[in-house]
Amino acid sequence: MGASAAADRYVELHCHSAYSFLDGASEPSELAATAADLGYEALALTDHDGVSGAMEFAHSCKGVGIRPIVGAELTVAPEGAAEPVHITLLVESATGWGNLCRLITKAHEGTRDGKGMREALPPSLPIGELELDGRTEGLICLSGCARDGAVAGSWERGDPAGAAALARRLLSAFGRERFRIELQRPLWRHDRARNRWLASLAEVLGVACAATGNPHAHDRSRAALQDALVAVRLGATLDETEGMRRGNSSALLMPAADAAERFRDHPQAVAETARLAERLRFDLTTELGYSYPGAEDPTADRRLAQLCRARLMERYAGSADRPEAERRLEEELGLIRGLRLSGFFLLHHDMLELAREVALEVRGPESTRRLLPPGRGRGSSVSSLVCYLTGLSHIDPVQQGLFLGRFLNEELTEAPDIDLDFPRDIREKLIPRVHERYGQERSALVAAMATYRARGGIRDLGKALGLPPGEVERFARSVDVYEASQDAQGRMDETLGKLRSRSPRWRALAALLPEIAGLPRHISQHPGGMVISTGPLIDVCPVQPAAMEGRQIAQWDKDSCADAGFLKIDLLGLGMLSAVEGCVDEIARARGERIDLSRVPLDDPEVWRAIQNAETTGVFQIESRAQMQMLPRTLPEDLDDLTVQVALVRPGPIQGGAVHPYIARRKALREDPAYEVPYEHPSLVPVLEDTLGAIVFQDQVLEVAIALAGFSIGEAEGLRRAMSRKRSEAAMRRYQQRFIEGAVGRGVAREVAERVYDQIVGFSGFGFPKSHSAAFGLLAYQSTWLRVHYGPELLCALLNEQPMGFYPPDALVHEAQRRGVEVLPPEVNVSEIDCRVETVGAAPASAGRPPVRIGLGYVAEVSEADAKAVIAERERGGPYRDIADLAARSGASRAALVRFAWAGALDRLARHAPQRQPVAVAAGSSPADSPAARRASAAIEALAGDERRPALWEAGAAARASASEEGTQLALPLDGSPAPELPELGPWERAVADYNATGMTLGSHPMELLRGDLAARVLSSAGLERAGDGSRVRVAGMVVARQRPATAKGIVFMLLEDELGTINLIVPPPVVERCRWAVRSSGFVEAWGKLEHREGTTNVVVTRIERLERHDLPTAEVKHIAPPIRRETGREPAPAGPARAALEQVVAELAAALPAPHSFGRRGR
Amino acid sequence: MKPGLVNKPWPIPVEVGADGRPIAVGRLAVSAIREEWLVEDGWWTREPLRRRYFELVLEDGSDVVVFRQPSTEAKGWRWFRQRD
Repeated sequence: MGASAAADRYVELHCHSAYSFLDGASEPSELAATAADLGYEALALTDHDGVSGAMEFAHSCKGVGIRPIVGAELTVAPEGAAEPVHITLLVESATGWGNLCRLITKAHEGTRDGKGMREALPPSLPIGELELDGRTEGLICLSGCARDGAVAGSWERGDPAGAAALARRLLSAFGRERFRIELQRPLWRHDRARNRWLASLAEVLGVACAATGNPHAHDRSRAALQDALVAVRLGATLDETEGMRRGNSSALLMPAADAAERFRDHPQAVAETARLAERLRFDLTTELGYSYPGAEDPTADRRLAQLCRARLMERYAGSADRPEAERRLEEELGLIRGLRLSGFFLLHHDMLELAREVALEVRGPESTRRLLPPGRGRGSSVSSLVCYLTGLSHIDPVQQGLFLGRFLNEELTEAPDIDLDFPRDIREKLIPRVHERYGQERSALVAAMATYRARGGIRDLGKALGLPPGEVERFARSVDVYEASQDAQGRMDETLGKLRSRSPRWRALAALLPEIAGLPRHISQHPGGMVISTGPLIDVCPVQPAAMEGRQIAQWDKDSCADAGFLKIDLLGLGMLSAVEGCVDEIARARGERIDLSRVPLDDPEVWRAIQNAETTGVFQIESRAQMQMLPRTLPEDLDDLTVQVALVRPGPIQGGAVHPYIARRKALREDPAYEVPYEHPSLVPVLEDTLGAIVFQDQVLEVAIALAGFSIGEAEGLRRAMSRKRSEAAMRRYQQRFIEGAVGRGVAREVAERVYDQIVGFSGFGFPKSHSAAFGLLAYQSTWLRVHYGPELLCALLNEQPMGFYPPDALVHEAQRRGVEVLPPEVNVSEIDCRVETVGAAPASAGRPPVRIGLGYVAEVSEADAKAVIAERERGGPYRDIADLAARSGASRAALVRFAWAGALDRLARHAPQRQPVAVAAGSSPADSPAARRASAAIEALAGDERRPALWEAGAAARASASEEGTQLALPLDGSPAPELPELGPWERAVADYNATGMTLGSHPMELLRGDLAARVLSSAGLERAGDGSRVRVAGMVVARQRPATAKGIVFMLLEDELGTINLIVPPPVVERCRWAVRSSGFVEAWGKLEHREGTTNVVVTRIERLERHDLPTAEVKHIAPPIRRETGREPAPAGPARAALEQVVAELAAALPAPHSFGRRGR
Repeated sequence: MKPGLVNKPWPIPVEVGADGRPIAVGRLAVSAIREEWLVEDGWWTREPLRRRYFELVLEDGSDVVVFRQPSTEAKGWRWFRQRD
């Protein structure tokens, strides 16, 4: 073989991607694409101690026509060595893959102490593990990299004898056929000497050499980023890490000719790479030996059928739907048998039974919550009758007419998704129980990759570049969380001034930001996805301990798990389910009423009125600004409407152009029942009838492709997956061609086919399946029902489940106050840890609305132990007489007492305080909830705040308990001197103290206090409602939420609150740019603009916005809501589970929700 | 490897072959290239470093280390010799 032939056949066998976590600067897909461009026949991925990128890599390689080789660079610890060393492992066979997974799992053992340590210890494998019987079978070992490699690294450190000894050990562990001496040429000082020595060692040992390039990036443009990532990983600056970096930018994928040139002294080592690659034919995409528990059970079909038929008899006894249900059950069972999935459904059923046990333990046998199912299905599984009958879903798919196809079809290539929502407390207990039930070796949580977004990138890179932390932070805060990083330099100029931002280090930061965006930083756990396996999971995917005790994570994220065909069960914590359950419990406790949510009437006119008027703050899903803007226009009348409504404000329907047609047609139908809904084609009528011709649900994408273009169901599902994951442009083009030709072949006009295809692509998969939407719609209705009939209890439950939903607690409280719910401040003699409704004496059930008492848990910076101690002692020894008594008996720390005093929780105990019996304590003594009693109570509460200064004085003076290792020295109940006359806190000071202490104020709204300082022309929210459409207005308010949805092209939506209600601002991009600081970071703003009243919604289109200046403005919580960035590679950063769901929900926002003839962005209107 | 007062590199005329590698240093021909390495560093500073080093054996048997780096004044490279 001549030199050029050898050069043609170089295969890179040692390559790092960003899944080496801070030691690799390219995505696997970028490496694959570059390797294809370079003409490689194959490429290996060998990330440090993990295979997190392997599945994506394997699919990417196949997509570009090169053969993926998988492996890892494993850290091993020789006995007695000061430093661990690296070896390169490559997988030759399925056995080898299993061995690799086990070795990596072993290396990660003990990297966490199980007590929530933040940073994991570095993984390392005791070298003896390699010498155990059969542990290296199917693996080829290269002797390691130039710096840290087992052999070359030891030589570099001046220990040739140790290097040779390690080489012999590895040779005996792997055998002559599967061990190679690895030569690298990183263009360092002693490359040639080292490689000469290594080659001679290889000759002595009688093994071949293999050349590797050890690339850490796919292209030169990422070389600087690789340097910076090393500094980030070491927590140091670039200047401090010279020796640890690669030293030059040669660690890139290189053309075969360059490899031949670089290794010109060792042509055989280059040729050996191609020979090895020939042997490395393990295909991760097809040869993974995985099966889920129950897959091999011959009785599964029969057992599932028995279970379902028995349940069907119960559920459909006497129902007109029964014949249809029976027909559908047999159809589903047949499908499931054909797909060999009976065991899968039984496993889910088993899981749910386990959840039921856990739920009973968590809720207690007496709780009203015991009536509730332990969890709820969401996602497409809800469309399955089998799921309904086995308890996985609570929606009757026969009655609802749900389409099964997306969940189960004959051409299914991977296990269907079943997502289960649980209240948070049940989920917390359930996850470790699943580990127990199926074994530590057989179950794990799915991984989630934390990826770089703008701010994290700025902070990490800023530190690496040695930039001043204060300025770095200022710059970080000036960019949106998810802002695309392309215009980083401009933003930097603006924030720091050009003089500063054009210095080399800042310029380097600007250049690196777009490169780092979207790259994975570290592995963490998916909030609820679990994989379960029949055989040990660690034979198919490495598992490592999670930060949380008792949990372990597989190294693959949900996409890779799906590609692997793993059975994944999503056990999701849904805040609203917890809140609804908490609410039901609170109703039972406070009013003695037992609510069965499954029996709540679905036609309650009061509830529908609230929904249509968008009085939905705090309600599931339909509380967001966008939803509230839409509700008065769509006017939902029943659960079907609500099902559409929930799905409508999503990126899919918005980008697919479904929203306006739906709203317009609904309106037209309301005005003229004879109105004929227009359809693109008659074949779409049955498919899109429910949504008036618009594509709103994800499953409609499938149905449209089937109806219009004659896709098979498997093809349609393939199209949906291609759209939602954006793996392959080429695949999308193929689908497009197939779609249009298919439609035209069925007599559809080409332009109609193209238009419909565009709608489908616009939809891009970011939508809800109808079944999921139905489940969410029902929860939305139920939570509205609770809001309407049990407002105080729902408020309590929402406050106790924070953070959740769209509004911060302060805004929830103010909105509740505006509709007459009384909210009382925390008080040490009354409050529990959680917020509670107060039972006013022995008032008859449901008489009036009980007040809500804020819990001690809301007082910031008070430890849970302190709060609990205060309550426990109160329950034991009765109410506290005064602050000295509290200090002496409860043993609460001085800091806690001070915080309580600031929160107003000691007001009643201060010596000047008007004496008043705490309501809950005086159970049985109060004469019901008369208006007079309410006024008196309110008057007393109104005095709250006057006592904070005396209370602080006394809290400081009270002898305090001190904790030491020997125990707590209780304070002596000394009578401290009474506080002197101290000036009262003014209303403004009180509001500031409230925000600092509890994050909310119950007294005067800050805007009420500011009102006098504002120009008379500044309208309140109430004044705005009265002003005419199109008028020029000036408004001011406290910022409650700001959003910059991806679908809205740079528009920022702001929600302001004042003492009378809320104000919606629409800030067009030029104003955002001009008034950036006010838009981005002000808690209080004043805005000028044009008022628009449209179909029951009110918006101010802003032309100018400024921050309200006052030095002591309190800092309330503002929710920033913005979409994730996408890298050009198209891979999405994937914050997992509920976080992702919440994100997607808000990403949807508002452009589409606005009335169509909206003026911004159109000059002159 | 940064230039310091003690071990300050000094400019030296180097003749290169077609592949860019030195064939003569001063008046002495290069007999062998022992090592060749690349230092790229400080890209985030005012003085980014980009040097290709060669350890050479000259025809008189001496062992020298030379490097080239982009010229600040003219286009192309400038060569320096560094005491090893």
